[in-house]
Amino acid sequence: MEYGSSVEINTEWDIVAARQLGRNEAKKIGFGTVDQARITTAISELARNIYLYAGMGRIEITCILQGQMKGISIIASDEGPGITDVRKVMDDGFTTSGGLGAGMPGVKRLMDEFNIATERGVGTTITAIKWLR
Amino acid sequence: MPREIGKHYKEILKQYIQKQDEKDLYAGQKFSREFIEKEISPEEVIGIHKSSLMELLPETSDQIWHSFDFLIEMMIHYGLALQEHQSLILKQEELAMEMKIAAQVQNSLLKTKVPSFKGLDIGFITVPAKQMSGDYIYFLNDDSNYASVAVADVIGKGIPAALCMSIIKFGMDSMQYENPSPNVVLEVVNRIVEDNIDDSMFISMFYGKYDAEKSIFNYGSAGHEPALLYRAKTGKFVELDAEGLLLGVQRNIQYEERSVQLEDNDFIVIMTDGVTETRTEQGFIEEQFIHAILESVKDEPAQKIADTVYQRLGELQNFQLRDDFTIVIFKKNER
Amino acid sequence: MNLQVEVSEENLVHYFKVVGEVDAFTAPVLKERLTSVQKTPNVQAVIDLSEVDYIDSTGLGIFIGFYKALQEQNGYVKMTGVNHRLKRLFEITGIDKIIDIEIEEGGSDDASL
Repeated sequence: MEYGSSVEINTEWDIVAARQLGRNEAKKIGFGTVDQARITTAISELARNIYLYAGMGRIEITCILQGQMKGISIIASDEGPGITDVRKVMDDGFTTSGGLGAGMPGVKRLMDEFNIATERGVGTTITAIKWLR
Repeated sequence: MPREIGKHYKEILKQYIQKQDEKDLYAGQKFSREFIEKEISPEEVIGIHKSSLMELLPETSDQIWHSFDFLIEMMIHYGLALQEHQSLILKQEELAMEMKIAAQVQNSLLKTKVPSFKGLDIGFITVPAKQMSGDYIYFLNDDSNYASVAVADVIGKGIPAALCMSIIKFGMDSMQYENPSPNVVLEVVNRIVEDNIDDSMFISMFYGKYDAEKSIFNYGSAGHEPALLYRAKTGKFVELDAEGLLLGVQRNIQYEERSVQLEDNDFIVIMTDGVTETRTEQGFIEEQFIHAILESVKDEPAQKIADTVYQRLGELQNFQLRDDFTIVIFKKNER
Repeated sequence: MNLQVEVSEENLVHYFKVVGEVDAFTAPVLKERLTSVQKTPNVQAVIDLSEVDYIDSTGLGIFIGFYKALQEQNGYVKMTGVNHRLKRLFEITGIDKIIDIEIEEGGSDDASL
């Protein structure tokens, strides 16, 4: 049984809506306060990236079940310019020092699973999952 | 694991809330090390604090609990910054390790065999300022009567300079059996450097070739510090300079070649600017300073002369070299 | 040590007055200033070194790099106010054969320590 909902990201305020959606979902699944904060921070970063670099896109939040495991999945997708150098984006020190927030390495650390699919001129889809322990 | 820690934390906290004893704070300080060891992030610590408190003081108002959630949110980025910091430290360790290996590779790559001749005593020392050197010594000798040496200094230090060295080495290797004269060597190496090295890298090089039978030293210089010749008979120093541009600036360059006749106990000192530009708090050392050191050990074997110069000049700067330091001595003995 | 580079332009000639020591630490400043003009075709440049006592090998590399870049653009560079110590450096390295160098006027003959 999987269910989910999504938020379109067009303005900075949509980032807050995405966070709210993620927090409600995380709470419902049973994550504790600290994990809730981690999940919303990850959503925040992903939504902000869309807002800053692609202009528009969407965040999808899904409750997922895999065997005995229950978790939350965040899918951030946009049709923006794409990421030229994924390795560079995932490098520590690439974004944080520039004041751009935790960046992609941060999202990866906050979540359990992380995946980037990107193509220049086509867009980017980032999937991040956190499992309930 | 966090559950165990949470229980322990709650105990210490409980003690402290009840008595505010310094020893409980000390226990807390020791306990905080455990947080770090077990990689418990700052937001997790606050989470543990909050849940301990919920059990210890369940009556607390909701507003306080909300404030903890806010604090957790605040600490997430600190947690990330900490993790990033730790990962950068790991990376740095990896780099330091690679650097160490690179320095070893360089050492074995640039190994050179000192010619052994009757009538010629050779000594040298080369010490990098950083892990990898931009100075280079290459000896060449066939089994006949010639002993040659190249002393090169790449402008710049560290890894980029070290990488350039290998180009010189291969250039020199290619001429190994031809016994070429200094001006030819410099011309060939200049072409190799000009063709292969980045526009902003330049190399100075001194090349000397000693004919043991005639006791003649032929030499040329590509923008290198002049060598010194100590004349045993007069006790005077003579500069061995020759005209020639640095390697890698222009493609077709002619190099001047000169020669001197050596007498018994004369010796030649070839240096890089890491030697001549030794700097102390009072400023640069004077040429006469090096002369005086050399003179004080003029009767010693070549290696002892080289070592002494390094020892004395090294002491002046507490052996914290600003530049790669290289010195080669060719001393003519009685045959 | 500090390094200052004053840049001015007069009759299409770029003047760089360098003040201080040019070494591995200060050289990036100089490099940045020089690179700003080296892409211009036929650029004429004068580097005034009368207030420079010392140039290390990194600094020297920057001047040579500048010279080479200007060569490609059909440009021209001259160094003026060169003291005794620097003159020796330019002679040893053979740079005085490719770049025009003017010795410091009335400067003391021995600028070394």
